[in-house]
Amino acid sequence: MLEPVMFTGGLYKHDLVVELVEDLGGYVLQKNVTQSEVILLILIPSEDKPVLEALIKELRGELVRAPLAGTEVAVVTPTLAIHHLPHTACDIAEYLRRHGSKTNMMGLARGVGREIAQINEYETALINEHDAAVFIFGNFRECIRRKESLYRNITVPVVVTGGPEIDKSELPYAFEYVSSIGRVAHRARKATEIGTLDSIIESVGRALDKTRADITKDPLTTSPPRVMDAVREQVPDVEYSYSPLPIALNLGGVRVKLPYERYKDAVKAVTFDEGVTLGEIATIRPSRMKDYILVRILPASETGYIF
Amino acid sequence: MDPMEVFKIVVTGQEDFGTKKYRELIMDILQDLGLIRSIGRLYVYMDIMDPVFAIYGLLRTGIPPLTVKDVGDVLKTEGGYQVKINDEEHMSDLLKVLWGRFGRERVEQPARDIVIIASDTDPSALTVADLETEFLQDLTDGLVRVAPEGFRNRRNEMSKESFFFIAAEETLTPELIAKTKEKIREMQNA
Repeated sequence: MLEPVMFTGGLYKHDLVVELVEDLGGYVLQKNVTQSEVILLILIPSEDKPVLEALIKELRGELVRAPLAGTEVAVVTPTLAIHHLPHTACDIAEYLRRHGSKTNMMGLARGVGREIAQINEYETALINEHDAAVFIFGNFRECIRRKESLYRNITVPVVVTGGPEIDKSELPYAFEYVSSIGRVAHRARKATEIGTLDSIIESVGRALDKTRADITKDPLTTSPPRVMDAVREQVPDVEYSYSPLPIALNLGGVRVKLPYERYKDAVKAVTFDEGVTLGEIATIRPSRMKDYILVRILPASETGYIF
Repeated sequence: MDPMEVFKIVVTGQEDFGTKKYRELIMDILQDLGLIRSIGRLYVYMDIMDPVFAIYGLLRTGIPPLTVKDVGDVLKTEGGYQVKINDEEHMSDLLKVLWGRFGRERVEQPARDIVIIASDTDPSALTVADLETEFLQDLTDGLVRVAPEGFRNRRNEMSKESFFFIAAEETLTPELIAKTKEKIREMQNA
């Protein structure tokens, strides 16, 4: 089984880590270089973890488990106005990133108010491209209850956050509800506030585990990191994409950050060692995010094989 | 301890948590904008079911207008007056006022913090900025930030002594305004 981990250390000799991961059959999901430091998000076979740990100890680096690595989470606020940003939304997004997830922040166009809050088809479809969503609401019980219409049609698990204690049974469409983090005008710094952020991470982790469990019932034809590796190798233009993460991983596929019209055929033609092309084992369609390419790997029940 | 003499907040329904948090939120926002010392009493009324948000405050005694002698030392010199600036924040306002009063050719600025005026008239009492207007603008900004974002229909009644701000999702009818004012009056008399 592949285990998600995060390496933090000096830039010097970090190539050794990358090489070792590749030799062991793991994947480097993301590489962030900040001046003389580098952060690598890695998937590594769990039985080989001690080998990697030994090398990292030698390099004086740090290796921690990143339970959310390889997933994309949407952090949704009713709007992008000063009432909701920056404090709560940025704190949650940053905390999710530190645990390895790729986090996108979204403000709805008309998500405000108790009676007038609404979400449109485009916003719903965009959130559905993620693996999980966190909806950030305010301090009033009645408003949180009424805003259920915003996430009723979302198919990915939705973690709702808000101020007051509300019984989960009152919010049937939410995957989980995390209290004590409503609208605040300061950054989270007290131990209790950090504890609430931890419980959001746990909740998102459970939501992703549920999706993973659903996938194992009908496994994907191949794993998303393998598709990522093949696309990176065979569509070299992806390295010239300006995005910090040119290929974003999801639990059910990848998002290639290249223009759909120009590159869809190149992505479809990506061939694996087994002789099949990506077009045969996945649906390739335009993403709702800019004009990117969304790759969704088909399950074994549709293709008839796993590799 | 509250820096205000009175700070009451009433929210209808079972919203104890929201009431407590809104109190902290209002304090945080007013403190961030540096408004809290100018407000003496504050009454906040929210009806979640209607829904309506209202805030009524009494202001501390008015802020006097800023004059030339408040921003610098005025000295009589040969052939005119010299102003040595202590507070650069209002420099542009000061120059604008002096140009308007004496004309550009009579106002000279040989150094960053020195202004020389070629005139026999003492400029000490000239008004540089109306701080009260600035304060009321900041206060309006603060109230818009405090009110829930979805409450887009707003009404703001401001005077030199007090302000009354009401915001709602639905159209603000005279009946709703009167009813809310009555609720705030009850809070004052309680």
